[in-house]
Amino acid sequence: MEAFFITDSDFVSFLSWLEKRGDLFVTTRDEEDCVKIKPYAEAGEFQYPGVRAVQPLKPFFFTMLEEVAQYPSAEEKTYEAKPFTILGAAACDLRGIEALDKVFLEGDFKDPFYEEKRAKSLLISCDCTEPYETCFCTLMGIRPYPEKTFDINLSMLEGGYVVEVGSDKGKQVIDGNKSLFKPATDNHLSQRQSLRKEVEAKVEGQSKQYKPSGSWQDAIAEAFEDPGWERNVETCVECGACLFICPTCQCFLLYDEKLKDRYERLRMWDACVYRNFARVGGGANPRPRLVERFKHRYYHKLDYFPKTYGFEGCVGCGRCIVACPGKIDMREVLKEICKV
Amino acid sequence: MKNVYTPIEAKILEVIDETPTIKTFVVEPREEIKFKAGQFMEMTVPGLGEAPFTPSSSPSQKGKIDFTVMKVGRVTEALHEMTEGQTVGLRGPFGTEYPLDKWKGKEILIVGGGVGGAPLRALFLALTERINDFKKILYCYGARTPADIVYKDQIQKEWPAIDPRQIETRLTVDEGDARWKGNVGVVTTVVENIGLDVKTSIGVVCGPPIMMKFATFKLVDLGFPDEAIYLSMEKNMSCGIGKCGHCMLGQYMVCKDGPVLTYDLIKDKPALWD
Repeated sequence: MEAFFITDSDFVSFLSWLEKRGDLFVTTRDEEDCVKIKPYAEAGEFQYPGVRAVQPLKPFFFTMLEEVAQYPSAEEKTYEAKPFTILGAAACDLRGIEALDKVFLEGDFKDPFYEEKRAKSLLISCDCTEPYETCFCTLMGIRPYPEKTFDINLSMLEGGYVVEVGSDKGKQVIDGNKSLFKPATDNHLSQRQSLRKEVEAKVEGQSKQYKPSGSWQDAIAEAFEDPGWERNVETCVECGACLFICPTCQCFLLYDEKLKDRYERLRMWDACVYRNFARVGGGANPRPRLVERFKHRYYHKLDYFPKTYGFEGCVGCGRCIVACPGKIDMREVLKEICKV
Repeated sequence: MKNVYTPIEAKILEVIDETPTIKTFVVEPREEIKFKAGQFMEMTVPGLGEAPFTPSSSPSQKGKIDFTVMKVGRVTEALHEMTEGQTVGLRGPFGTEYPLDKWKGKEILIVGGGVGGAPLRALFLALTERINDFKKILYCYGARTPADIVYKDQIQKEWPAIDPRQIETRLTVDEGDARWKGNVGVVTTVVENIGLDVKTSIGVVCGPPIMMKFATFKLVDLGFPDEAIYLSMEKNMSCGIGKCGHCMLGQYMVCKDGPVLTYDLIKDKPALWD
C-alpha cells in the first residue's frame, strides 16, 4: 500500500477539508482521560486516541433504534445517509466493521440501511500506542495497528503522521489533497515499524497467559458441558451491557407501532442474554436457563461465527470486561473453561 | 434500494376454520409472490408485528396463498380475530425449500403432527403435481383428538384419490372419541410397516417439537440415513434474512440456512428440539 507523511500543521488543513466533506466524528479524551468519539464541533479538537474509544463503531452504521419501514407504503421511500468521517478508529474496531459487513452485506439480502451508511462513510484509523490492560486483540488474530478495512490509517510520529491508504475511497481523498501529503521516507516507515512492534509485544505479553494452543474453535468445542460455565455465570445480572457494547453483536428485534394514518416498523438492538430472546410464539424456549444464554454468546463469537465467516466474532477490545457489573472477564472465563 | 423490511399488502379473501385453534387464511398479495414448498414468509398484523408462517397451499397456485395458523401467541391471536376483506402484510419468501428435484425417483415418507400439517400440505401438493417423478408418497399425520385434525377430508379422501397406486395416507389421534374408528396413538405408531426401501427413501418431518424429536428417532430406527431426513425447524425467525440472530441453531440461522434442514447437519446442535 502507498504510504505518505503529513505534518502536524498540514493536518490542521486536512481536518478542515474533512469537516467540509460531511459530518466529522473524532476521538478526544474527556476529563477522566477516556477516549470518546464525538462530533468534531463538540470535541473542539482531534486527539490521537492511542487506544480504542469507549464506544465501538457499530452505532454509526447500525443504530440502536431506527425506523426501517413504514406501511402500507404507496411508494418505496429511498433511504439516504449523509457522508460522514470517523477519525480515530482502532484496529479492533475495524475488525468489528469487517464482521458487521459479513452479516449485513453478504448473502441474498443486504441490509439497505447499513449498506447506505457504509457507502457514505470514510474510515480513518490510528495505530494503538497505549493499549489498556483489558486489550487482547492479539488473541483474536488482530494486531494493535490496522492492516485492513480502513480507508486511511494514521501512525503518529514526531511532528506528524505516517499515512497509509487502504481503499480507493481513501486514495481519492489523498489525491484530492495532494499538496498536504508527501511520500513517506524509509525513516518514517522504520520508526512506525518499531513503535508498532513495541505495542504489539505489550498486548501479546499481557495476553500470553490466555492464549490457547490451537484455535479458539478447537479450544471451545470440547468445553460445552464444562461445569465451569455454571460458576462463571453466577455474577451475571442479565443486563446485556457486554452485548450492546460489543463491536460485532448484531442482534436486533423488529417491532411495529401505529402512527396517525399508517404504521412504522422499528429496529432496536436486542441481546441474546435476555430470557425470551429465542422463545417462539408457542412458548418453546431453546435457552431457558441463564447459563445456556451466557454460553451462547461465547459459542457464537468463537465457534459459530468462525464456522460461517472464517474468523472470530470477538475482536479482543475488552469493552465487555469493562462494562460488566458482575466483573466477568471473558479472558478468565475462557482460560478456565478451555483449560488454557 | 429494495427495502427488505417493508411488507407487501395482502387482502384476506377467506378464513377457514380448521380446528378449534387453527384457521386457514387465504390471502391475495398485491404483487405476485413466488415461493417454493418449505420456504416461509413473515406475516404482518398491521401495527402489532410479524410472525413466521410457511404457506400451506401449492406453490403453483396463482394469485393467492393459504396460511394455516394456530392461535398460540400475541400475533396469531390477533390474526385469528381478523376477517375477510381485511389486510395483512407479507415479506418473503425466505429460507430453504424441500429439494424436489433431488428427490426424483424416490419414495417419500411424510410425517406430520398438529399445525405442522401446513408446510406439509404445500409439499404434498407440489409432489403430487409431478407425481410421476416419485415412486410413492406415504403421508402419516397425527393430531391430539379427531377435532384437531387439520385438512381431515383432504387427507382421508381427496389425497389418496389423486393416485391410489402411489399415494397412501394414514391418520392417528392421541385420544379418540365415540365416533373415531381410526388408529389411536402418537404419530410414530402409524409409521410401521411402511413398505418403503428406507435406504433410498426420503423422510420429511414437521410438527410440534416433541413430535419431531420422536418421529426423527423413529426414522433413524427404521434405517433412514440422517441426510435423508428433512426437518422443518421452528425457531424464532424474526427478520427472515439471517441477521437479527433470534433463530440461531448452532451456527445456522434457521431463517436463512433453514427452515428445511437435514438431520445430519443439526443432530448435534444444542437445544435442537426445544
